Amino acid sequence: MIDIKGLRKSYGSNEVLRGIDLHVDEKEVVVIIGPSGSGKSTLLRCINYLEQPTEGIISVDGTVLDGETNINKVRAEVGMVFQHFNLFPHMTVQQNIMLAPMKVRHVSADEAAIQATSLLEMVGLKDKAMSYPEQLSGGQQQRVAIARALAMRPKVMLFDEPTSALDPEMVGEVLDVMKRLAHEGMTMVVVTHEMGFAREVGDRLLFVDQGVILEQGKPKDVFEHPTAPRTKEFLSKVL
Amino acid sequence: MDFNFDLIIESFPLLLMGAGVTIKITTLSVLLGVIIGLVVGILRICTLKPLRILAMVYIDFLRGTPLLVQIFLVYFALPVITGQRVDPYFAAIISCGVNSGAYVAEIIRSGIQSIDKGQMEAGRSLGMTWLQTMRYVVVPQAVKRVIPQIGNEFIALLKDSSLVSVIGFEELTRRGQLIIARTYGSLEIWLSVAVIYLVMTLTISRLVAFLEWKFNTSRRSAA
Ligand SMILES: Nc1ncnc2c1ncn2[C@@H]1O[C@H](COP(=O)(O)OP(=O)(O)OP(=O)(O)O)[C@@H](O)[C@H]1O
Ligand SMILES: [Mg+2]
Repeated sequence: MIDIKGLRKSYGSNEVLRGIDLHVDEKEVVVIIGPSGSGKSTLLRCINYLEQPTEGIISVDGTVLDGETNINKVRAEVGMVFQHFNLFPHMTVQQNIMLAPMKVRHVSADEAAIQATSLLEMVGLKDKAMSYPEQLSGGQQQRVAIARALAMRPKVMLFDEPTSALDPEMVGEVLDVMKRLAHEGMTMVVVTHEMGFAREVGDRLLFVDQGVILEQGKPKDVFEHPTAPRTKEFLSKVL
Repeated sequence: MDFNFDLIIESFPLLLMGAGVTIKITTLSVLLGVIIGLVVGILRICTLKPLRILAMVYIDFLRGTPLLVQIFLVYFALPVITGQRVDPYFAAIISCGVNSGAYVAEIIRSGIQSIDKGQMEAGRSLGMTWLQTMRYVVVPQAVKRVIPQIGNEFIALLKDSSLVSVIGFEELTRRGQLIIARTYGSLEIWLSVAVIYLVMTLTISRLVAFLEWKFNTSRRSAA
């Protein structure tokens, strides 16, 4: 579903990604962990071209990203959930969800509204359709953000620390939605510090350090038998 | 000193008519200015460099030359090119509106840049184009945020519109001049003119404050 070959990304002289090769299968859930500044967000943002790779080839569902001609088409297939939700504050929850399907997929307003309702039901927020984002808790906002991304019927979902900005008691409700998505067969790439989630839901765990994938494998194996010293050191801090 | 109250009372209806004209051309000019300013302000930060430069030239030229000279350019210089006389009314609105557009463009630009970058990223990540995200996500938030500054621009232009009196357009200042030419009541008339301007600008600033308040509360009560 996602194919990354020789991905490099520099900001000026600062090389943030230093040669990443990654293949993500359909329905696979890949969890990325690693220290702050290691390039996890940058990797995720290259997959939907929010950051332009300096070098390397990325393809999503067979389409090679070229930055200009097909980028909006690819992005419509790749949902992204941000740490800070980034809901549109001037729109109701329902409008947030309806906007992109109407403007990009040219879905009718009626159809988009019906879809929004069922998505809100799925994330447990049916009664919040007419609320504005500022009236919701962080956990609720993030669930709306997930619903908004799903409204485009993406083939892949990217999550960049979706629970890091939440109060601890709200982390669970967001992770539950993500678990359900994974069980329903969504292809997911998730950057997170939630090791429980990684172990339970992840098919594969990547440890990213200083712009390279230092270690990867089944989450259980990496957690229990890390090979690289850097991985051991990192895990001893977070587990 | 001779202060003639009767002159003020006599001339008041004429001055009020002038004030009406002032409000009318200011409103039309600001409307034109907002339309131009939205377009130029967005071009100013768009991804295409030639368009950015074009917008910058527009803004620099209109903010870097006196409005009075711009009025002369439209009223006296333009006919040299087109060979046609320019109507003073048209000249007034075009020169004020085009001038205001440059200031509004800068207001809009700063408003857009004050919106969190995550908004553009969220829109783009959903597959919307840059322009779609600007239109439906960023600009509506930016415009709401700059209403007070647009209000200030309205007030500034209302005062600056007195400059179009030099091309004989009969707004408030020109009305005052004409009455004084007839009656020699400089003190009474200029004082009256000043007070009328003051009442207008104060009213508008209160109106803007009210509008801002309303904008901020309507969203909550609608939900
Ligand atoms: N737009 C940018 N311009 C310049 N440098 C950047 C930019 N974005 C990220 N960086 C740098 O790239 C490096 C990697 O950043 P990135 O956000 O990918 O790390 P991360 O692994 O997601 O870290 P965190 O866990 O803190 O989110 C950091 O050193 C950061 O300072
Ligand atoms: Mg990050």
